Amino acid sequence: MNFKRFLSLVVVLTLLIAAVGCSKGQGGSATASTSQYSSSNSSQNKVIEITFWHAMGGNLGAALNKMVENFNKTHPNIKVIAQFQGNYDEELNKLRTSQQSKSGPDIVQVYDIGTRFMVDSGWAVPVQKFIDEEKYDISQLEPNLLAYYTVDNKLYSMPFNSSTPILYYNKTAFKEAGLDPNSPPKNFEEVEQYSKKLLKKDASGKVTQYGYSMAIYGWFFEQFMAKQGALYANNGNGRDARATAVVFNDEAGLNIVNWWKKLVDEGVAGNFGRNYDDTLNAFTAGRTAMFIASTASLKQVLDGVGNKFEVGTGFLPALNNNKEGGVIVGGASLWILNTRSEEYQKAAWEFIKYMVSPEQQLFWHQNTGYFPVTKAVYDMPEMKTHLEKYPQFKTAIEQLHSTPINRATQGALIGVFPEARQTVEKAIEKVLQNQATPKEALDEAVKSINKAIENYNQTVSK
Amino acid sequence: MYRIESITSKANYKVKRRSVGIFLKNFKAEIEPFLYLLPAASIFIAFTFYPFFKTIYISLFITDPQGGLSKFIGLKNYFDLLTSSDFLNSLYVTFKFVLLTVPFSIVISLVLAIFANLNIRGKSIFRTFYALPISISSASAAVIWTLLFNPSIGFVNYLLGLFGVPPIGWLTDVKWGIVAVSIVTIWLNIGMNFIFLLGGLQNIPKDLYESAQIDGANVFLQHIKITIPMLSPTLFFVTVVDVINAFQQFGVINIMTQGGPVDSTNVIVYSIYRDAFFNFRFGVASAESIILFVILLILTVLQFKTGERKVFYR
Repeated sequence: MNFKRFLSLVVVLTLLIAAVGCSKGQGGSATASTSQYSSSNSSQNKVIEITFWHAMGGNLGAALNKMVENFNKTHPNIKVIAQFQGNYDEELNKLRTSQQSKSGPDIVQVYDIGTRFMVDSGWAVPVQKFIDEEKYDISQLEPNLLAYYTVDNKLYSMPFNSSTPILYYNKTAFKEAGLDPNSPPKNFEEVEQYSKKLLKKDASGKVTQYGYSMAIYGWFFEQFMAKQGALYANNGNGRDARATAVVFNDEAGLNIVNWWKKLVDEGVAGNFGRNYDDTLNAFTAGRTAMFIASTASLKQVLDGVGNKFEVGTGFLPALNNNKEGGVIVGGASLWILNTRSEEYQKAAWEFIKYMVSPEQQLFWHQNTGYFPVTKAVYDMPEMKTHLEKYPQFKTAIEQLHSTPINRATQGALIGVFPEARQTVEKAIEKVLQNQATPKEALDEAVKSINKAIENYNQTVSK
Repeated sequence: MYRIESITSKANYKVKRRSVGIFLKNFKAEIEPFLYLLPAASIFIAFTFYPFFKTIYISLFITDPQGGLSKFIGLKNYFDLLTSSDFLNSLYVTFKFVLLTVPFSIVISLVLAIFANLNIRGKSIFRTFYALPISISSASAAVIWTLLFNPSIGFVNYLLGLFGVPPIGWLTDVKWGIVAVSIVTIWLNIGMNFIFLLGGLQNIPKDLYESAQIDGANVFLQHIKITIPMLSPTLFFVTVVDVINAFQQFGVINIMTQGGPVDSTNVIVYSIYRDAFFNFRFGVASAESIILFVILLILTVLQFKTGERKVFYR
């Protein structure tokens, strides 16, 4: 009898623990929102509370919260409440829902490809307004970023976390394979040669280390288009006039998919699926010797690899000799919303200025891998010592500075970009799984995206 | 839903027949029942009927990216869907998913229930273990299984590797994506099914088995001839619920595969979600959910028409 009682007690306890464990995430956000209300009653002299939605989880979120905390400490009249809203897609989704009742946040972090949609939505106050009012100096901001986020000659949002894709490689594996650990492959011919040397199999023929890998991520496709100096969408990537169609089913697009397929078919490149982190984990686990990922993952990769092997970084490999090509800035920017009165918008602007100040950008860069949005950071002595200690961080910066600004590298503006990216991923998957030829898959993707664009333009055109 | 409607229509009929005088006189008898129905009815109207008709209404429009209705297009959304290869693929995937999950969930949980119903030492431990998946939300389960299926550090492939099985791209290979998602769904279903079936088993009188034993029937025959028929009401219930659940599976797919690889796990519910909350075409998404509703309606009617005849109610 006693045993039975004890057993049921154990079971109940396990279930309770499981339940608490499951609801931990929600509990966190619940306390965040209650503190919002309680502190608004506190009797400090007029504190303006603004909410800030972001999509930074994990180590990125921790670094961001630290910055918000510092802001609140140094600005007694403004209180920023940072709320994590899931990944970029989920966050944008929540924004759309809450904006139907005009109850969105004061500041929101939106990813690069949400730019066209945000401009069309009419929810945003362009930061250009505050820049003009205050004669705020933007000459120190990276010109590539200004080029990306300027729409109709207005800077709509302030770039905050900016990244480009780079090649990560395992220097130790390079040495073992007899390759020079200080010269990563510059183009795809070299990627192929190196991968063949880096490929390792065990006695049963099972691959233990692939030469190369990249997640099936539409962003990489967009980057390789720009690297070839090719346009993704018509009307100058949607920058001369609203884009009415995507045009990536040309030679440049086929070039990417053909290379991708060739490497996978030869068995030298691993396919770890669409999940970005799965490929990253494959690299840190030593399952692939090279891979492509955002510079924003650098800190995560270095932490994940630890002392297991040496990590090197290189430019995104080229597919042709076009000198006009380069990388598009990715990441996200901060948008001020017109949900509340000007008082709140001004407070939001104060916060944004703080977030892009050299000190904060240095902290952000060191803790994440996103490159600084302001060039002033490079004059700081801390930055110099940081780059000496971790030379891997330099790659992204050099890659950015060697990218010419033109329509191809400015990146496309399309209202349905999230959907387009998804469709491209499906097309690439189809090719890799031998369900369609590269030409068929890309043609089909273009057709489907163009239909969505037509639909979108129909509903937003004024 | 069905039951309430039939009650109200009966009551309506009665009200019409009576004259006003008696109507007032019989206030308690005639009006009071409606008051009891009111709370439930208002909840149904607010949260079931209103959204349902609104969905039908929206499905006739093109919507703008903010979700507002933009242009009336009649049944075009439906025609587009029924001729789109993506949607037909979703239908196919959904049926495949139902066929992969429902039979396995039921058979496995039935076998477990029969074992847990035996009079053996520590049976309550087994019962707790088997019912455990119930206490885990599908989201947590999906996250855990995603790790187990991980292409480079997953435990499942490691385990299979010990038996010399080459690594399987559980979440990356078109052939295996649906299998991986089905395994998790079956695992999740087992807890609930197990509890229902065990409850059903305990309601079967022991003397039936005793007399069967005296007649010389072996254990296998006893289960075929006694357990299955006596359990048929529960089995029928579990089947109907499992089928509907399978049609509505979302959490696991959203977390594990996002409909991929190449739409091989893009069931209708997931494609509704994609269209509504990712592509922001609420019109199309509404049309899809109406089609799903019709399919579920037809299937449930069919199940009741055919399945129930074989059910043995005491």
